[in-house]
Amino acid sequence: MSATTAPEAALSVLPRADGSAKYSYAGYTVTASVNGPIEAQRKDEHAQEAYVDVIVRPAAGVGGTRERHLESLLQSSLSQLILVKNFPRMLIQVVLQVEAVPDNDYENTKLVQASLNFPIIPALLQTAVLGLLSAVVPMRATATSTVAAVVFQDGAKRVVVDPSPKELAAARSVHVLAFTSHDELILAESEGDFSVKEWDDVYDAAAKICCQSGAGNADTAMDLDGPVNAGPDMRQFLNSTLEAKVAADLYWK
Amino acid sequence: MATPSLTFPRSVFAKLSPHPYLLRTLTTSPDDTTTTTPTRTNGRAPSEPRPLKIHTSSLSHAHGSALVRAGDTTVICGVRAEILPVTSIPQYRPVTDYDALAEDEEEKERRDRAELKDYDLLVPNIELATGCAPQFLPGVPPSTLAQTVSTRVYSLLHGSGVVGVEGLRVWDTSRVGATAEGVDEEEEEKPRLVAYWTLYIDLLFVSYDGNPFDAAWTAVVAALRDTKLPEVRWDPDREAAVCGSRTERAKALGVRGLPVACSAVVFLEKERGEPGEGRHWLLLDPDRLEEGLCGEAITVVVDCEGGETRVRAMEKVGGVVVGRELVRGFVGVAEKRWKEVKAAMNMDGQAHGALGAFVEEAGSSR
Repeated sequence: MSATTAPEAALSVLPRADGSAKYSYAGYTVTASVNGPIEAQRKDEHAQEAYVDVIVRPAAGVGGTRERHLESLLQSSLSQLILVKNFPRMLIQVVLQVEAVPDNDYENTKLVQASLNFPIIPALLQTAVLGLLSAVVPMRATATSTVAAVVFQDGAKRVVVDPSPKELAAARSVHVLAFTSHDELILAESEGDFSVKEWDDVYDAAAKICCQSGAGNADTAMDLDGPVNAGPDMRQFLNSTLEAKVAADLYWK
Repeated sequence: MATPSLTFPRSVFAKLSPHPYLLRTLTTSPDDTTTTTPTRTNGRAPSEPRPLKIHTSSLSHAHGSALVRAGDTTVICGVRAEILPVTSIPQYRPVTDYDALAEDEEEKERRDRAELKDYDLLVPNIELATGCAPQFLPGVPPSTLAQTVSTRVYSLLHGSGVVGVEGLRVWDTSRVGATAEGVDEEEEEKPRLVAYWTLYIDLLFVSYDGNPFDAAWTAVVAALRDTKLPEVRWDPDREAAVCGSRTERAKALGVRGLPVACSAVVFLEKERGEPGEGRHWLLLDPDRLEEGLCGEAITVVVDCEGGETRVRAMEKVGGVVVGRELVRGFVGVAEKRWKEVKAAMNMDGQAHGALGAFVEEAGSSR
């Protein structure tokens, strides 16, 4: 199941949460609920800034060590995006429920897996950002993220954006990169076997997806490269999702 | 009457306002001499790691062990191997022909890794002992830090491929060559895969002073290099693996490459400012005080064993200071660290090598 379709998102899907979002792309569907700023527990309270609490719930079973790691990655990234210093002694809670993961008929699938799941990180981060926007939590910047793999095919190296589970299994290295809307690298995760040069190529490919601005720009880039290597324009997607939501909400005017 | 003094000793200042304390030591030289190099609170230069001490084979009941010490971070790692018969693996999928697989290098490598992962042959566990640092309290479930480090070690063990599955397979060779009647001769000649070794890799932090992942990973690699699996024979009558007790017959577990982890944190000049404004320092091998003050951290795992530098894993979280250029530069820093860690491992190996030669001599003269 490769990412042939465009990402989809819906904002404010849950009636009771302050903000929520549902995002699906490349076989992953994640729902986020965001509450905040709310009162923090005494142990989490910070005198100068808000505490960002991220909870990741897997599609099946209960969260294990892998989910704790994902939570700590997201927590440190989101704390950089949210203006935490505006809300001292408060808590901003982000709950991410994974609803669907892509099937992989080629692999033994186990319920509890301890190793880090790279392709789920962009899905979780995108959903969290959309949820925070829906909850109108003040943020310094938004973030976009993507996953890329370096695969060897017919004796040549190739960077595959949004790899399928089968490509992931055969990949030499897998990379997750996230950028803020100021084009800064906020999160980088890589594993496998690669050189600095390969990482640079991956960085270029990821920056192209995450850091493009404007619809016109995106269209020309698509035409030049063809749809083979070019993934979706994540920033454009984020903008259009919010524009559509604002337009729908202000329809009565 | 003496007026009460308003000067504090350094330790009090460090506790009361740690951020200005660290900033002050970085911006001014310690004794106001001519030196202009910034110094950290622990007396190190920003890019100076703590000296590493490695001691292997200190646990007598483990198949391999290592004690790693970097400053006040001390971690002990023990590797214990246990037999896992294939009959007790759920969803075991036997490979019928290993020879055919061996032809396609890429496919074989992929299958080997999948085998390690599917049957859970590597089981790392990390414990931050009560009292190793003040924040770890007794009687609580494993902290987020312990779980995070455990996931990272597990991912890196599988991602870097330091342990090959070949060394963990246990074969039944008892019927090789024996041609039983009525059975196809072709099938009988091949050894049969009957069990795997499962490696339980337990890490215990005796003392914790920052940078847990580097220390933990160094301990894992050192312990795996030290691991010797006992001689094993499959007893077809009992349907069980029988291990020999003679230590000199034990086979060293082959470890591929030498991946070395190198971590740093980013210290920002402005405690409450926007990220990215003001000066910043990259502090290599941070201690507990520095980790508490810095949000952004970078870890790069490199392996220069083949002459060429290969990056095996990278993690950068919690900030926007480290961009593309700094990541590139940091790989160079990691290369330097790799040489130091290799030297520390070899130094330990030499000490043991001398002892090993002595034991061998004593054994042969008997």
